[in-house]
Formats: sequence, structure tokens, C-alpha cells
Amino acid sequence: MSPASATGRAAARPAEAPSRKEAPAGGRPGGEGRRRRIRTQLPSTPWLFLGPGLLIVAGFSLYPFVSTVVDSFTDRRTLIGGRYVGGANYQELIHDDMFWTGLRNSLLYMAGVVPLLVVLPLLLALLVARQMPGIAFFRSAFYTPVVASVVVVGLIWVWLLDDRGLVNSVVTGLGFDRIPFLSDSALLLVSAMLVTVWKGLGYYMIIYLAALANVPRELHEAASVDGAGAIRRFFTVTVPAVRSTMVLVGALSSVNAFKVFSEVYLIAGPSGGPGGDDTTLVMLIQRTGTGLSGRVGYASAISVVVFVITLGLMLLVLRANRKEDA
Amino acid sequence: MRMSTRAATAVAVALGSALVLTACGSSDSGGGSDSAEGKVEGTVDFQTWNLKTNFKDYFQGLIADFEKKYPGTEVNWIDQPAENYANKLSADAAAGDLPDVVNVAPDLVYPLAKAGLAMNLEEAAGKYRGEYLPGAWKSHELPGMDGVYAFPWYLNTGPMFYNKKLFADAGLDPEKPPKTYGQLFDSGIDMAKRSKGKIAMLANIPAVEDFGRYGVELMDEQGARFTFNEAKGVELVTEYKKLYDAKALDSQALTNQAEGAGRKFQQQSIAMNPGGALDLQKYKKEAPSLYRNIGITPAVNNTGKDNMYVQGLMVNKQSKVKPAAVAFAHFVTNAKNQMDFAHEVTVFPSTEGSLDDPFFTKEDGTDEGRVKVAAAKAIKTAVNYTPAVFSEQMKVALRNEVAKAMQGKKSPKQALDDAVAECNRLLKTA
Repeated sequence: MSPASATGRAAARPAEAPSRKEAPAGGRPGGEGRRRRIRTQLPSTPWLFLGPGLLIVAGFSLYPFVSTVVDSFTDRRTLIGGRYVGGANYQELIHDDMFWTGLRNSLLYMAGVVPLLVVLPLLLALLVARQMPGIAFFRSAFYTPVVASVVVVGLIWVWLLDDRGLVNSVVTGLGFDRIPFLSDSALLLVSAMLVTVWKGLGYYMIIYLAALANVPRELHEAASVDGAGAIRRFFTVTVPAVRSTMVLVGALSSVNAFKVFSEVYLIAGPSGGPGGDDTTLVMLIQRTGTGLSGRVGYASAISVVVFVITLGLMLLVLRANRKEDA
Repeated sequence: MRMSTRAATAVAVALGSALVLTACGSSDSGGGSDSAEGKVEGTVDFQTWNLKTNFKDYFQGLIADFEKKYPGTEVNWIDQPAENYANKLSADAAAGDLPDVVNVAPDLVYPLAKAGLAMNLEEAAGKYRGEYLPGAWKSHELPGMDGVYAFPWYLNTGPMFYNKKLFADAGLDPEKPPKTYGQLFDSGIDMAKRSKGKIAMLANIPAVEDFGRYGVELMDEQGARFTFNEAKGVELVTEYKKLYDAKALDSQALTNQAEGAGRKFQQQSIAMNPGGALDLQKYKKEAPSLYRNIGITPAVNNTGKDNMYVQGLMVNKQSKVKPAAVAFAHFVTNAKNQMDFAHEVTVFPSTEGSLDDPFFTKEDGTDEGRVKVAAAKAIKTAVNYTPAVFSEQMKVALRNEVAKAMQGKKSPKQALDDAVAECNRLLKTA
């Protein structure tokens, strides 16, 4: 009997599990000595399975993270190795006006985008969750911006919102003054928020669709029997049923909004809007730390601050969720 | 079990320590010598900046000629896209993968030379100095460092396109575009008034080269600190503020990039914009009505000297094939090959005597020919106004402070004082 056929038979006969117990791992026949040797290797077996994944995490997540933290205490440049400077980068950061501008804009961005991304995709999901002819088209259409390149999306919106773009042509055609979407600091940030919301709707809609599929139909029927209308059912049945998904969407969108880069970069320009007024923290990291003269040490210090704030946000959301569960 | 956990922990700690130590020691990349003595042989990695799409045949021929002239050599040509070129260079340099011969501009070569990655060609190839225009050879001299760090390659000036129809509509003479900043400001205000703010003269706020062309002293003589907050600099920003308030600058001037400014010119909502031969071809194809009305004139200046854009070829100081790399960089930039390249596209050779060729002195009756002859004449006395030490971060700092002056958030003097302070701070930490 070949080892291969033994393996096949063992796999095909789960009822004979006790007999497999005697067989070595992998179903290969062997003597007592071989069994003992393999047993002694058992504790390390999980590490063999975990090894590749751990190495990838260590190489691509842990190492860059530790390296960033280490760099934040140095004056490292892109091409010149750094010297230890203690907390000098963090002290500089406190006195850097652009850092505070970046922090303010990142927080504003989050405050503007997250409520919309929690509520609008849910409403959209309720619309497309209905089974009716042609609904698949609308589901795909709403999801299209998610798969579109953010650069292409950004450029399209720049053309739309330009002083002589489509939106302003309509506005002036109706007899109103042009709206300075791309030259006013506040409107620039709002325009970038709109792009983020428009691009994110489809993604979060899919998450809500999955959650809505798990809401028992009987709950809606019972509420209807009790005389609840559509709006009341939404607040008393749908929202409580998808509350944990709303928390998840809130957490994901707030982290993404806080780390916003592409939309603001494309719409407000690399210098971050007029006078840098629309610079976000991640834009500041990119501007400070990249290029041949990049100040990697200082950019790393900003990155560490962004990490701490993001982590804090996640913990706050989780804690709020746990309290409500309790 | 306990042993295994300990072993795993030890391995993890060791791995972590090794990784952290690697992080601490990975970026000092200098080294190598400035000597190019030895036999010309081996494989040379050659990197250009966005040239493959349009000039593939030219470069393939050039490489074949070099390999024929120096048997035993091979050239591996790499072309990088225009966007994020500096980031690509920094990534390669940090990883120790910088090609042997690299297409650079002075502001790109400065940090590389400072990190000890660019060969001092005054030492390695000083014998070729006489082949190049003196100003071009010196264009890769760097403040605070002795020597020259790239072979000068092709040169260009930045001509301005202007819309003759918009000039005529505003009552300005379409055959007499502004030559000085004073004329530019007056024409801009006139145009904005007559078009009731609908047509702006320019799409951008002043950049560092505008300060240079205006006659502002950008740095002190030692190149140790910036001085563009002097009276002339303040005057320039004050005049631009008047343009902005009169709507003679595009309403999106504070955020416009080159692409956006080009689009405004194509939409005929601004009257003047920098341009080149490729833009002209684009307008011919996409905006024929604009193309018919395009006039071409040198960029305005108060100094009598145009701005010169310089491209160079740097030799990697860590190259393993230095003799071949230096020979190839010299080969690409020699008079014959630069002249051949100038026949492919409107660029100007940096080699001595090339600009006296009839190709650059006689017009052929076309707009392009007129631009070429005018630019070739201007380039003999042109100056590269942008200091080599002026990094991307400094450009953003200047742009942001000038924008604040335009918005009235700061006075021109305060804005420039702050820009200079920030640029000097960045210079110290560079």
C-alpha cells in the first residue's frame, strides 16, 4: 500500500478517526520512534503555519511602524542618516502653525464626512435592497465610484467645480454669482468632502446591504401589524438591527476621513489650498517627508501623532459601542 | 513547550532589534571616489526624465553609437515619468539603486551631491569644460560645495504665449506684448477693467523665478541665506496684489497648477501663459480658434536676461563603471549629439558654438521657427534664476506666503519675511 492511498482512505473514512489517531500527522504510516519524533515537534507546528504570515506582518507593518517611531526621535533626512535628537521633533511640531492647521482640517474633515457616510449609504442600501426589475443596474451604478481611480474622480470633480465648469455654468445660467469652489479655502475643503462622500457611498452601501439581509422580516411584519409606518419601522426596527454595522461604518469612515490625502491633494493642489489653509495632516507628512530634501524625522513625528489620534478614535468608538451593548 | 516559547521570543526580539538597527543605519549613502580613470567598459544604467515616449528612436540610435564606439560597453536605458521624479530619485538613492548616469536639474542634484552620491566632474571630467558654454558648465556648481556635479545637457527658456484676440478686445496692441513687469501690470489692469473682470492676464501668482526676473536678489553672495524679502521683492508682491484685487489674476490663481493654468489659457479666460512647442501642438489640435490667435513672446523681465532651464547628466559616485558612465554622459552631451537632439525637439544645446549654427539663427517663416530663433538668441545671456538649493518644500512655503499676501491676510512685507525665515530654516536643516 502506498502512503498516498493510505492518506486517501483515512480522509475518506472520518468514522474511523480512532485508527487515524495512531497514524502520524499527515496520515503516513510509521513506527513508534517516528511517532514520538513528530509529537515532540507538535508545539512548533502552529509557528510553522503562522510563520509566513508573521514574517509578512513583521516586514511590512511592524518594521515600518517601529522604524517610524525610531525615526521620529532623529533628524533623519531622505538621503542622510539621522542623529538622535530626543523630543526635538515633537517640540517643533507644537510650535508649527501648519501642524495645527493640518490637525484642524483633518478633524473638520472627519466631522463633515462621517455622519454623511454613516447615514446616506444606509438609506441608499434600503432603496436598492428591494427586489424589483433592473435594481442590479442601480446597485452597480452606485458602486462604480468605489472602483474608479481616485485621481480620475478628483480631476473630473475639478473640471465640474471650476469657475467655468458645469456646476458654475448652471449657477450663472440661473442668474446667480459664480461659487468659488476651487479658490475659497472653506469651499475647497467642502468640495473635497463631497468627493469623499460620493466615492464612499457605494462601499458602505454594500456593507449595509449585507447587514440588512440579516434583519428578520418578521420584525417588520410585526411592527406593521402594530401600526408602525415606514419611518417608524426604520427607527424602531432597521436602525437597532444594523446598529453594530453603523458603528463599524462610523469607525472605518472616521479613520479614513482623518487620514484623507488624495481628494484634498487633487482638489486643493499640492500646496494645500490658498496659503496652505486646506492642508491635512497626511498632506503635511507627504510634503515634509518626501522628495530629495525630505525631513523624514519630522514627518515621522507627525505620523506617530496621527497614529495615536487614530488609535484613540478607534478606542472611543469601541468603548461607546460596548457601553450601548451593556 | 517553555523552551519553544523562549526560543520564539528570542528570535522575535533579535529580529526586531535587527530591523530597528537596520532602520538606524540604512540611509547614509555616501562613498566612492571622484576618479574616472580606467577602461571604458561594462553596463551603464542610464535614466532619463520623461523622454522615452517621444524620443525613443533618437536615444536608441545614440546608445547604439556609443556601444559601437566603445566595444565592451552596454547601456541600459531607463525612463521615468515626469510626475514624482524627485521621489523616484530619492527612493533609488536611499535604496542604493541610483543608476550610473542620471538626468537631473540643478535643484535635484544638490541633495544628491550633498549626500555624496554625485561625482565632482570638475575633477573627473574637467578636461571637457571648454566644450560647454561657461554659464551652462557652472549651472551645476552648488552653494557650499566645490566643483561641478553634472554635465550640462539641453537648455531652454520659458517663452510666453499670449492671446492676440483678447489683447485686441481689451484695446491693447496685439503686436506689442509686454516686455517688462511694469508693462505687464499696466496691461493686466487695463484688460481686467475693459472685460469687467472676465478676462485675467495671468493664471498664477509669482514663483521664485519671477522674483529673479524682476531683479530681486534671491540669496546673499555666499548662498548661505535667502534675501528675497528685500524692497524689490516686496514691490513685486505688492504689484501682484493689485492685479489680484483688480481681477487681473485668475480667480483660482492661488491654487492653480501648471495644468490648470494651461486649461485656462485654452478656455481663453486668461491672456498670457508660459508654454512650449508641445503646448503649441496641443492647441493646434484641440483649440484651433485659439491657435490662430496665439502670439509668442519671451517671458517678461526687468533684468534683460531670460530665465534658463537647465537639464544635466549626473554620474553616480557609487557607480561600479565610472569610466564608462563618465564617457557616456559626455557622449550624450557632446556638441554633435546635442545638436541632433535639438533637431528632434525645440531645445538648445549647452555646447560652445552650437547656438551660432544657422539652424538657430535663421527663421523659417513659421511661428515655431520664430520662437526658436528668439529663444536661441536669448539663451546666450539667460540665467537660471532658481537657486539650486531651493527645494520643493521651499517652493510651497513661498507660494503659501505669497497667497496669504494676495488674500490680504498678511502684508507683502510680512509674508515675504515669513517666507524667507521658513526657507532659511529649511536651508539650515537641508
